[in-house]
Amino acid sequence: MAAPSTDIIALVHEPIDREALAALVRGNGDGAIVIFDGFVRDRAKNRRTLYLEYEAYEPMALAKIQEIAAHIHNQFSVHLVAMVHRLGRLEIGETSVYIAVSAAHRSAAFDACRYAIDTLKRTVPIWKKEYFEDGSIWADGELPPLPSATSAVKPAS
Amino acid sequence: MPSVSQLIRVKVLFFGRLKEIAGRTQDSLDLPAEADIESLFAHYAGRYPELQQYRSSLVASCNQEFAPWNTVLHAGDEVAFLPPVSGG
Repeated sequence: MAAPSTDIIALVHEPIDREALAALVRGNGDGAIVIFDGFVRDRAKNRRTLYLEYEAYEPMALAKIQEIAAHIHNQFSVHLVAMVHRLGRLEIGETSVYIAVSAAHRSAAFDACRYAIDTLKRTVPIWKKEYFEDGSIWADGELPPLPSATSAVKPAS
Repeated sequence: MPSVSQLIRVKVLFFGRLKEIAGRTQDSLDLPAEADIESLFAHYAGRYPELQQYRSSLVASCNQEFAPWNTVLHAGDEVAFLPPVSGG
């Protein structure tokens, strides 16, 4: 399959095809791909997890992931970015988020991939509910920064 | 200057535990012109008192962008109340 000329940004309700995504970002001009594969752990805070359910504010989540990819291209010398998050019910061991970044050199790919997952976890409106044998809870999350806080004018220094 | 009798209709979305408290994923509400997101939340906190305790741990969005609580709403706006995010 020919490599796409664009990034791959998606929210999916079925299992993520990791190998296909890694292949899609791989180009002949690249020397490295760094992958983040986030999957469902069998416990949370010493409680045995049965399964997870993810939900999203889908159009906003897609837009926010696209912003992350755009920022990556501005900040890092990378070729292509794939960022795919799965929604719905996920079993132990299933991939919930998959990020692959291709680049000519490893350093940019590592930095971009780290930025991608860290920023996704902080700013993309996706929520995880954890199901245990004796109940369920919404996972502790991070409060995205409000624009009024992030766009405050800094004094010249 | 807007008339006090003028109303604007906004769409409101609930996610995560807020969806469970409100018992719905979305609503449509008529508000006085010049109402802001804070007053919209206050309306729902009045209807669903359990929401109030989460006010300090929410952010809001307007038309799919994070928005300050004093954002003034306009007819057709889509507002969402967003609990701390936990994707990944």
